Amino acid sequence: MIKAATAVIRVDGVSRWYGSVVAVSDVTFDVQPGITGLLGPNGAGKTTLLRMMTGLATASSGTITMFGQPVRDNPSLYRRLGVMSEHETVYGFMRGREFVRAMAKLRGVPHLDDAVDRAIAHVDMADAQHRRMETYSRGMRQRMRLAATIVHDPEVLILDEPLNGADPRQRVHFKRLLQQLAAEGRTIVISSHILEEIEELADDVLLVVNGKLAAQGGFRAIRAALNQRPYHVRVMSDAPRKLAAAAVTLPSVDAVHLDPDGAVIVLSRNVLDLQVALPRLAQAEAVRLRKVEPLDDSLESVFGYLVEG
Amino acid sequence: MTGTVFDIGYRSYTGAREGRGRSRLALFRDGVRASLGLGRPPRAKVLPWLFVVLLSGIALVMAMIAGAAERLVGDGATEKLNLPTHADYYGIASILMFVFAALVAPELLCRDRREGVLQLYLVRPLTGTDYVAARWASFLTVMTVAAWLPQVILFLGLCMGDPAPIAYLREHWLDIPRFLASGIIMSTYVTTLALLTASFTSRRAYAAVFLVGLFAITTPFTIGLADEMRDGAGPWISMFNLTNIPLHVVDVIFGGPSEMTEDAPARVLGSTTLVTWYLAWILVPALVLWSRYRRATP
Amino acid sequence: MSTVYLLTMRQLAGRWRLVIMTVLAVLPVLVAAIMVSSADAPSVREFEEVVLGTIIAGSIAPLVVLALAGPAFANEVEDRTLANLTLTPLPRWRIVLPKLLATITLAAPFIATSALATAYVAFLGDPLAVVAVTASAIIGVALYASAFLWLGLVSTQAIGIGLLYIVLWEGFFSGFVSGVRLLSIRHHAIALMHGIDPRRFAGGDHPSPEVAAALAGLVLVGFVALSVRRMRRMDVP
Repeated sequence: MIKAATAVIRVDGVSRWYGSVVAVSDVTFDVQPGITGLLGPNGAGKTTLLRMMTGLATASSGTITMFGQPVRDNPSLYRRLGVMSEHETVYGFMRGREFVRAMAKLRGVPHLDDAVDRAIAHVDMADAQHRRMETYSRGMRQRMRLAATIVHDPEVLILDEPLNGADPRQRVHFKRLLQQLAAEGRTIVISSHILEEIEELADDVLLVVNGKLAAQGGFRAIRAALNQRPYHVRVMSDAPRKLAAAAVTLPSVDAVHLDPDGAVIVLSRNVLDLQVALPRLAQAEAVRLRKVEPLDDSLESVFGYLVEG
Repeated sequence: MTGTVFDIGYRSYTGAREGRGRSRLALFRDGVRASLGLGRPPRAKVLPWLFVVLLSGIALVMAMIAGAAERLVGDGATEKLNLPTHADYYGIASILMFVFAALVAPELLCRDRREGVLQLYLVRPLTGTDYVAARWASFLTVMTVAAWLPQVILFLGLCMGDPAPIAYLREHWLDIPRFLASGIIMSTYVTTLALLTASFTSRRAYAAVFLVGLFAITTPFTIGLADEMRDGAGPWISMFNLTNIPLHVVDVIFGGPSEMTEDAPARVLGSTTLVTWYLAWILVPALVLWSRYRRATP
Repeated sequence: MSTVYLLTMRQLAGRWRLVIMTVLAVLPVLVAAIMVSSADAPSVREFEEVVLGTIIAGSIAPLVVLALAGPAFANEVEDRTLANLTLTPLPRWRIVLPKLLATITLAAPFIATSALATAYVAFLGDPLAVVAVTASAIIGVALYASAFLWLGLVSTQAIGIGLLYIVLWEGFFSGFVSGVRLLSIRHHAIALMHGIDPRRFAGGDHPSPEVAAALAGLVLVGFVALSVRRMRRMDVP
């Protein structure tokens, strides 16, 4: 259970809307030290939520606090917070080291050059640090930006899709770096739409779908919890009634509906078993499956991940 | 383990595949829409439509003044009081047209270069020439309509305001082809220069400021200088008054000087010189503009 | 603060920009030289109206400043690099002020030198006149810079609005409607010029120097305050 007393970041009833479009809807959670993953499909509202957590954007309603202070209109907070946004924010005409140094200077880092050296070494960019950033590859820019984010030794790191465009070697390096930083007691929030990344890194996961918080907690616990709710799966086949009659016999199936357009809607709480049993059943009954799709919008993406194993 | 491929409804395109002409037309239409802010949030429509309204408003005011004058002073008041007419309209409205072009033309070229969309266009059956020609044509169309609409309003206003509209129409119908031609003269000039400037930078802001600056600064500069050197190099200096270059040609069409160009020293140089000069200021920038895009490849 | 200042200088001081500004700075001096050397020299009023009022204060100064101050924030917003500055513990005024100073530092030398040289040539080296013209040019630059800096922060159409302001408001209306002159930066600067050297720049329908000075101060502080306020409240891209 999350203990409120140790929460570093507190998000309480936060919503954000743009005119009639709701980007984030009544989200409440706490963030503890360690690595927290913010997971969700593209367009789920992760970036909006992160921008609100970093004080870059206002919340239409609700409050966000960090270390007990409001994040909005609170510049002194940025001494303890490091942020990396998902899009490029560098000045092409600057050299890598210059950029990190400038960012460090703006944050009042003592022993400037030492801190810059350390940060650049952390991201393994010491060789290229004197080249202009416009000559860097995307991955290199990403790493330099990360160096600039950690140069002032922040207690909290908020990283929006930091592994966008990173190659496998960088991923491994990055994972190790984050784990090391977290082990030092920092609070790290990292967002991604890729399941595997979050699975490897995060202790806690926040699953955001369509602007709402769909699940929270340890990853395995979520997986288990998901399997308790019945899924609606729509199956198109060439012999629906035959398939439906057979499907009812499967232990993983809770209920079966027949749609007028010839689709069979299967309710199941054990999707993992269903995904194996259904094709086998179809093969045994000589029914050809044309299409198998989940209907629960709110869990569609997670189902997608699960189906792909 | 066997594998199954599910039919999820993918269909390849089996319709007609149209060629270069269609691409060019599409680019042209996109240019017109972009200039007017159509298909974008209301904020993007403010500037272009504001200009159209302002330009038309000037014509409307002119028509109303003429109408009022007719009623108060009697027939032929426009000539007697030397009120502004079609010929003078462009002199009055030219600065607005230049600012309009300066602000809107860069939307057509700068944005594509900056966002890398130009490369996407060139992957289609479009050459760099096609691209720049379509953009030029689209902005020309918009500017020409913006130049014609006020004149049409003015004509209608003068016609209605006259006690004998049919007679007015019969007497002045020649004004119509004249102002149509003048509109094209103005819009071609403005379009070509604005797009040329826009082709040099990828930030809209700089193109706009440069263009307006070019006109706003050279105009008083050349006027001041030319005034000083009336007898010597005055007329030649006055030729570099960028605002007046198309206006002189408009004068030629209307057969006489308008209010704005009455005092221009360049007038003494004769119609042929002035028209040739105008053409030079169209062709050379057009060629430079073309050359900047001609060899563009994806 | 110096970091922001130097960064802005690097962002704004492009080679082409400097070339164009030099050319623009030279133009009024040329006009002045020619005017003075011609037999039929214009009166001070004429000279003031055409060269100083229109060319320098009305066109060159505001356009140059618009090209520098407008993009100072607008480019950062467009490129989404503004967060680099806002995600720091700097109080917002310590971001706005260096930006403003950088813009003024770049624009003022050109405009001031131009004004100085023009006045020197036109008024045959009369020190008070030269000081009057140069000082008011610098003040004009500062005022325009503060206004356009704010505009760049507030609107994506900053350049368009700025151009309309220069052409319509300063260029057109303020020439005709005297009430507008109270709200016109160009006229504040001109009024101050009159105030510094009243014997040469007499007459004309301008606000008194004291009023102009107060308004100028208000404009400068006001726009800086507005910019700070905007930075605190905006969603930074």
